[in-house]
Parts: sequence; structure tokens; C-alpha cells
Amino acid sequence: MNRKVYLDHNASTPVHPEVVEAMLPYWSERFGNPSSVHGFGREAREGLENAREQVAHFLRVGKEEIVFTSGGTESDNMAIKGVAMGRGRGHLITSKIEHHAVLRAVQNLETLGFEATYLDVDGDGLVDPDAVRRAIRPDTILISIMHANSEIGTIQLAREIGAVAHEHGIPFHVDAVQTFGKAPIDLDAFNIDLLSFSAHKIYGPKGVAGLYIRKGTKMVSVQHGGEHERRRRAGTENVTGIVGLGRAVEIRGRDMVDEAVRLTALRDRLWEGIRDQVPDVRLNGHPTRRLPGTCNLCYRQVESESIVLGLDLKGIGVSAGSACTSGNVEPSYVLVAMGVPVEWSMGAVRHSLGGSTTAEDIDYVVESTVPLVAKLRSVMPVRA
Amino acid sequence: MQYSPALIDHFRNPRNAGIMRNPDGVGEGEYKDCMDLVRFHLRVRDGKVMEARFQAYGCGPTIAAASAATEVATGYALEALLDVEAARIEAAIGGLPEPRRHAADVAALGLRAAARDALSRGDTRSDRHA
Repeated sequence: MNRKVYLDHNASTPVHPEVVEAMLPYWSERFGNPSSVHGFGREAREGLENAREQVAHFLRVGKEEIVFTSGGTESDNMAIKGVAMGRGRGHLITSKIEHHAVLRAVQNLETLGFEATYLDVDGDGLVDPDAVRRAIRPDTILISIMHANSEIGTIQLAREIGAVAHEHGIPFHVDAVQTFGKAPIDLDAFNIDLLSFSAHKIYGPKGVAGLYIRKGTKMVSVQHGGEHERRRRAGTENVTGIVGLGRAVEIRGRDMVDEAVRLTALRDRLWEGIRDQVPDVRLNGHPTRRLPGTCNLCYRQVESESIVLGLDLKGIGVSAGSACTSGNVEPSYVLVAMGVPVEWSMGAVRHSLGGSTTAEDIDYVVESTVPLVAKLRSVMPVRA
Repeated sequence: MQYSPALIDHFRNPRNAGIMRNPDGVGEGEYKDCMDLVRFHLRVRDGKVMEARFQAYGCGPTIAAASAATEVATGYALEALLDVEAARIEAAIGGLPEPRRHAADVAALGLRAAARDALSRGDTRSDRHA
């Protein structure tokens, strides 16, 4: 029987047992609608507001500045479209390596008459804060730059970009889905006005997330209906999930720093183990300004899905950097933006470590990868 | 993605991987949308494939399909190999999920090209390898 090693925590994480425990009563005991005025509703409301307090405490912001949503994608759409629709027209600045939730929300706004600048990144995946400054126009209404990219883990210079935004009085949105609960975020020091975060990347449940909205930020609702979430997001709250998010955040406050130190060491052990035994491999992303558990590697002249399948057969879960869908293969747009040549980017594999990852797991992954890549290279013709 | 045991077996233990000295026919199949490339080397005797070897750049199913294709090709008459169908290769790996059908297509393209090349050389006499 193969060992099982899950190294895809940037995709999703297992729900922490303490989170499950916190959620349990909210399925069938405290099941009321939090908007109801009776005792059943009040019980649910209490769970909801307690979770809001937990998130606000973690981010050191006011409770009223937290809005719960159904996922990081909704949070990003709410932030970007909410600000844009409130202004009616204008120019947005983002980067070429944002999550599709940001890129496609901005592209959608372009079809409605808004204009956008998609900033380049350097070879490490960093957005230059001076490039942000140069892109600002008199009609710029929003700057949206992610905190860390899910594929490569590079952590952006959010403090410096936030300073540029603040200097020009432009709202600054940060998609922090990959860093929330994993790396420190100082909303005031970074001048962040809107911050997207999610539960299932931090050992919480799927289908629940949130948006921090700094008090005074001018925006409109993009989802209409009831008067939930202080009229900012219509729809009955996912109380059970939100309770899970609150508890997950509380646990991150306790575990985050120690885990970051441990995962950084394991991440480097993985890279060094492979680098020392596999020729023609490169590390993608910034060498140090990177998510603690993220290690994205490119194997030259090897197709990444074949590596993913080979490791899967060894019980190892990683993700491919290039996706082959319906006969079309697309090298990662993130790696393309970083200028990684196609003979490398086609062989991109992302390993994302998490709380359960051990040194033995890493050694097993290295031991499994070395012969697999050698074997695949032995059958793969060198492409021109 | 769910793959058949036969496909997994060919991926894990590719048959006839590599190249051969002085092949009687060489052909490639390429699927540019997917950047897949499969190359076959054929040894031919009496108008039939005696041995086939492959190299394949692509996802796991493409490697498996190319491996299975070498077994399908062995014993095939060259003339018949000109028309070998992807379905024949797909069947040999226990079927393919819809998004990976191109794996059998590219292997079939490569085999047909190798058969064409061998026939064009016209040097596959029975005594050549005697």
C-alpha cells in the first residue's frame, strides 16, 4: 500500500477537527435563520457574530468591516465590481498574474466601458510598485493586486503598493486568499481598503469566505435581495460555514507563526532534495518572498501532467502547472508572464505543503520524483 | 481524471520505449494544440512490422497510447497500418476519457506516418534482415 502524501494545500485543505467540532451544533441544533427575531434565530445570529468577531480580532479591524461571502471568487467580484459600479466609469490597475476571479471581473468591467491596465511582473513574479505608480491616471478608481500568487507563492510588495495607492487616494484591493492565515497582513500599514479571504485554504470549510471593507470605502452592492450583512451582501448567511471560518481563523492566530517556520524548512528541503538529484529543474517564484509551503518546480522537457499522474500512482497529490483540457494545453499564464520559456513551463509542478506535512513525506516525494522524471525523460523526445 | 487499469499499466511500464538503429520507417504524430509529440521507429520484414519502438512527449495517456500502439503495430501489414484507426489504439488501453481522446489520435497519426515512411523507402525486402 502506497503512502498518502497530500501536497496540494493551495488548492484546498482538510477541515481542522476543532473546526468540525465548532460547526457541528449549527447543522441541526442552532439551525435558525440569523435574521429571525425568535430564539432560534438569535442562537444562529450569536454564532455568526462570534465568527465575525474572531475574524475582526485576527485582522485587528472593526466587526462592521467584515462581510461574509460564499468564496474567494465572490469576495473578489464584490470588491472590484462594487467599487467600479459605485463610480460608474474609470480605470482599474491590476496585474497579469491575478487569480481568474480578479482578471475576469476586470475584463467584464472592460466590456461595460471601464478601462484597465494589466501590469507585468518580473522573473520572480513581483509587481514593481513604481510600475503601479506609473500606471495611475487621473481617472483610476481601483488598484487590485494579490498578496500571493497560488501557483508560485511569490508575496507581493503590498506595503509599497499600498503606499502608492494611498498617496493618490485610490482604493487598494488585495486578494489575500493564499496568504490570509499563513503570512502576516497589516491592513493599516499596507493601506489596504479591501481584502479577500477564504476559509478552505486555512483548514476551514469550502463555500465560505469574506471581504474586509475599510470603513468609508465607497462601493455599491452587486448582489441584491434582503438586507443581510448590513445591506452589502444579500442572502441568508451560511452560518455553519461561517462558524467554521471563525474557528479556523482563531486557530491560525495560534498556529500560523510556528507552522510558517516549519513549512519554510520543509519547502526548502523539497527543493534542495530534487535540485541535487534531478538535472534541468528550476524553482519558480521568489527565492525568499514566498508562501511558506509553496514550491513550484519546472522540469525541462517533461510534460507536467505525466509527472502528476506518476506521483498520483505513488499516492502523492500535487498539481500541474500546465493544464491539458479538451486537447488544448495552456502553459500557466503566470509562468508565461514571468517569462519562463515554454520548454520549461510545460513541465511545471506545484507542491503546496500544509499542517500535516512531515519531513518523511518530503523525503518520500523526493525519492518518488527522481526516478519518475528520469523515466519520463527516457521516453520523451527532445522537442525543438 | 479516471483512467483504466490497462492505461495505467502502460504508463507505469511502457513497452518498447526508445529508438532503434537503422529503422526501416520513422514517423511522427503531433498534436499542436496540446504540444503532444509521438515518434515511432519500425523494423519491417516481409511487408509486416516486426518491431516498433516509441518516444512520446505528452501527458500520461499519450505515453500509454504510444506504448500500446507499438504492441498494436507489431505483426501489422504495412499497407494496413496506413489506415490504422485511433479507436484500435484506444481499445488497447481500455478507453480514454473524452478530454484525453487526442492521446490515441496522436499515436495513430504517428503509426500511419511511420508506415508511409517505410513504404516509401521500399527497402523492406524479406532478405534485408537475414
